[in-house]
Amino acid sequence: MKHSFQRAGAAAVAVGVAASMGISSGVSGASAGHVSRASGKLTIALVVGASSDPFFQAMKIGAQQEASKLGVNVIYQGNSTTYSPATQIPVVNQVLATKPSGLAIAPTDPTALQAAVNRAISEGIPVVNVDTHVNSMSKVLSFITGNNTQGGMVAADALAKAMHYKSGSTFQVAVGLSSGTSTTDVARLTGFKQEIAKKYPGVKIVATGYSESNSATANTNINNWLTAYPHLTGIFAIDGTNATGASSAIQAKGLVNKVSLVGYDAYANNVSLIKKGVITALIAQQPTLEGKMAVDDLVHYLRTHNTTGIQKAVQLPNITLTKTTPASTLKKYTYPA
Amino acid sequence: MDADHSTGTSVVPPIEGEAAQSMVGEAPVSVTPAGDLSAGAAAPSKRKGLLAALGSQQSILILVLLAMIGGFSIVKPVFFSVGVFGNILVAWAPVALIAIGETFVIISGGIDLSVGSTITLSGVIAGYAMAATTSAGWPSGFSIFIGALVAAGTGLLVGLVNATLINVAKLVPFVATLATLGAGAGVALVLTHGAPVGGGPSNAISLSVPRFGPFSWPAIFVIVVIVIAGFFLHTARFGRYVFAIGGNSFAATAVGISVPRYVTKVYGLSGMFAGLAGMITYLTLASGSPTAGTGDELSAIAAVVIGGASLTGGVGRIGGTVLGSLILTTVTSGLVVVNIDPNWNQVVVAILIAAAVSLQTVRRGIHRRPR
Amino acid sequence: MSAVPLYEVKNVSKAYGSVAALTNVSMAVNPGEVVGLVGDNGAGKSTLVKVLSGIHAPDSGSILLEGTEHHWRSPHEVLAAGIETLYQDSGLAPNLSVSANVFLGREMTRPGLLGKLGFLAQKKMDRTAYEDLERIGIGFTSTDRPVAALSGGQRQAVAIGRAVAWARKLIILDEPTNHLGARQAGEVLDVIRAAKDKQLGVIFVSHTLPHVLSVTDRIVVLRLGQVVKDAPTSEFDAESLLGTITGLLGAR
Repeated sequence: MKHSFQRAGAAAVAVGVAASMGISSGVSGASAGHVSRASGKLTIALVVGASSDPFFQAMKIGAQQEASKLGVNVIYQGNSTTYSPATQIPVVNQVLATKPSGLAIAPTDPTALQAAVNRAISEGIPVVNVDTHVNSMSKVLSFITGNNTQGGMVAADALAKAMHYKSGSTFQVAVGLSSGTSTTDVARLTGFKQEIAKKYPGVKIVATGYSESNSATANTNINNWLTAYPHLTGIFAIDGTNATGASSAIQAKGLVNKVSLVGYDAYANNVSLIKKGVITALIAQQPTLEGKMAVDDLVHYLRTHNTTGIQKAVQLPNITLTKTTPASTLKKYTYPA
Repeated sequence: MDADHSTGTSVVPPIEGEAAQSMVGEAPVSVTPAGDLSAGAAAPSKRKGLLAALGSQQSILILVLLAMIGGFSIVKPVFFSVGVFGNILVAWAPVALIAIGETFVIISGGIDLSVGSTITLSGVIAGYAMAATTSAGWPSGFSIFIGALVAAGTGLLVGLVNATLINVAKLVPFVATLATLGAGAGVALVLTHGAPVGGGPSNAISLSVPRFGPFSWPAIFVIVVIVIAGFFLHTARFGRYVFAIGGNSFAATAVGISVPRYVTKVYGLSGMFAGLAGMITYLTLASGSPTAGTGDELSAIAAVVIGGASLTGGVGRIGGTVLGSLILTTVTSGLVVVNIDPNWNQVVVAILIAAAVSLQTVRRGIHRRPR
Repeated sequence: MSAVPLYEVKNVSKAYGSVAALTNVSMAVNPGEVVGLVGDNGAGKSTLVKVLSGIHAPDSGSILLEGTEHHWRSPHEVLAAGIETLYQDSGLAPNLSVSANVFLGREMTRPGLLGKLGFLAQKKMDRTAYEDLERIGIGFTSTDRPVAALSGGQRQAVAIGRAVAWARKLIILDEPTNHLGARQAGEVLDVIRAAKDKQLGVIFVSHTLPHVLSVTDRIVVLRLGQVVKDAPTSEFDAESLLGTITGLLGAR
């Protein structure tokens, strides 16, 4: 996901996630919600930034799966390609006009979306923030996000381990980014650099490049690094386009097992490339879990009118997947297709 | 012709089709202008010396390309290597292919914004087809053949949708292909949820790598397509009509050329080339990536414009487009190899486009006599 | 003059939406006859030209070539029948060469398979176009120059040359002397006279009444989409013609 906004101070790591899920699934049939649809079903609106973003797509799937389990409806909305408050605000307003029972929103701007969130709350529609949040969180039910800085850190650990890092030696690595303006990429790179500075001073980032959200461009960048830096030993592919471009470049140049690749996003194809040894490690986010938790929190509140058991702030860790990860774990974190 | 001259001039006898066309032995070298109607026709050629010094757009592009290769090589000697040239040509092949289709479209006076998402969509759909044939145990060569057919077919379909939107729904090409640009990318995302489509033939990637020096099989395929397309554009009736329609569609209609039929052909061709470019990108990425072609329509249009075509139609050359696409991919790779901040890539491309267009304007100013 | 006119329209009407451009228009031209078609702006001249040249099909009425009725489905059929049209706003493709324009839609192809694929015999077309234009009195040092590189007068020369070179029966000239100086316009009129001598029919559409009076045998006056007068040129003088066009002089 390209645009997360790091929440300062929200530190609760999501070990306690299961608790909140347990509670909500324990609430059954009879609607305690204050909004009752004609169908008698609750309707949860999930409004995201760019609805075509794979991260949000996965979040949608998580929300839908949980919704069908709980017997509620989900509306998924967002501008199809543009991550911007200018395009998101009209979408939220239209969604609110349909009077959903609850709103889960990934605000594209903490200030600009505050009014829409306030409006929903004043109309009696409970609000959950996912991925990013608005400025004033006092009336927001909960905030669920991933931690991209931590993801960058574990990526550095995974890459160092794969390159058999030892102090005193130099290791050349390259980082493929999506663009220079993606806040997600920036957070991941920050974590990656912090971890290197702290633990792996022998690792040198010799090149960084942008894919401009195009996997073929990522492939070109990485092809050229592999040619221009014959001593390159590691690549951090910071997003899905770079993971695709890097894995194919390493295969094309016959450098599988010679150049370590740590990538992002646990697509089925990427997971299969772990098994082949092309990708050394994958850092997986948990967008489906975010979507699921958002639905859980809203449905729990709508049915019980009670915030007990809802965690106000949840930060889900990024998970490292490698060849030695048990198959069941791999399967669990693979993004649904 | 003066009055006394023209009284002695006979009107051409009736021409009965091509067979009766007069045959002349030698091309006339020069003739004295017969009168005012023709006087001055020879005047622009007096400026040919100046023009020759400026050079044609294409020779300037060749110089720009060589200067770039020279500059990058001096800064980073490894740039001048089969390895880097191979990288450039791998990236160039799909971009050149869509730029060739785009050349026909732009010369016809249209624009095709859908080619980038057609690369994506056809690569994804071909990916599913090849995953199916591969899991059914069919030989990989056969899978790839099927994949290429499916990709080309998908692209052709998008092109025909564009043509229908333009011919039947009467949308302007910009709007019609903007719609299919969005729809194609959307369908690819709906199908894949953003995840690359794997499970295809295992030798896909080995087909994409440079094999003969810097040349890969896809690059060779694209070169062959370029040569054939160049002949059809510049020496055959098809290209002649594309130029005529782009220059003055009424003139084409008035001589009996069916503009809608050529719109269909041109957008169909562009779509099919984009589909094949999607297949090439599939081979390069070893998967059908839902982000394989993002923004490539702009590269294609930039290549065509840098190559000397006019967005108003009627002007353009295949050779220019080929050089334009080579320059673009050389810049992209060159900046990576010499490790310049990648944000500069956009700046350099912008400068190239602006320079190419101003060059065109300057050259046309020289060509065109004031009236 | 032959008994059957060369080209004839009978009771032709054409409307664009609810706007009637032509109402029950009838006119005819004979071989070796120059017919002037005049009228104010919006009188329907250009629409009639487009009906005559097959660009528009009339809503009603009939079109007869040498006594045979035709329902033109495309401009191409009209060209194939030997009728050439010079359109008011250049019917030339600006970025194609002189010879490519002369042969546009009727290209000569190479022999054999290449020809079947549409590959062009360009040099042959360049030569032939040069020859044909020169015979009409329009000399170009080379016919491979793009039309865009020519002056307005030269372009008009190419357009006229193309029409004359291909016409076997009839030439329709829509404002051929527009944008031309007096001397060049005089040459265009000479081309028209030469065509008449060759027994071609000519329909000459013009706003420049002295030209019409000097070159035509008969004049058809259109007003608001209807023929208000169709008479030998000898019955008009400049004043009466203008009066008929504007309607200030009653049509008889």
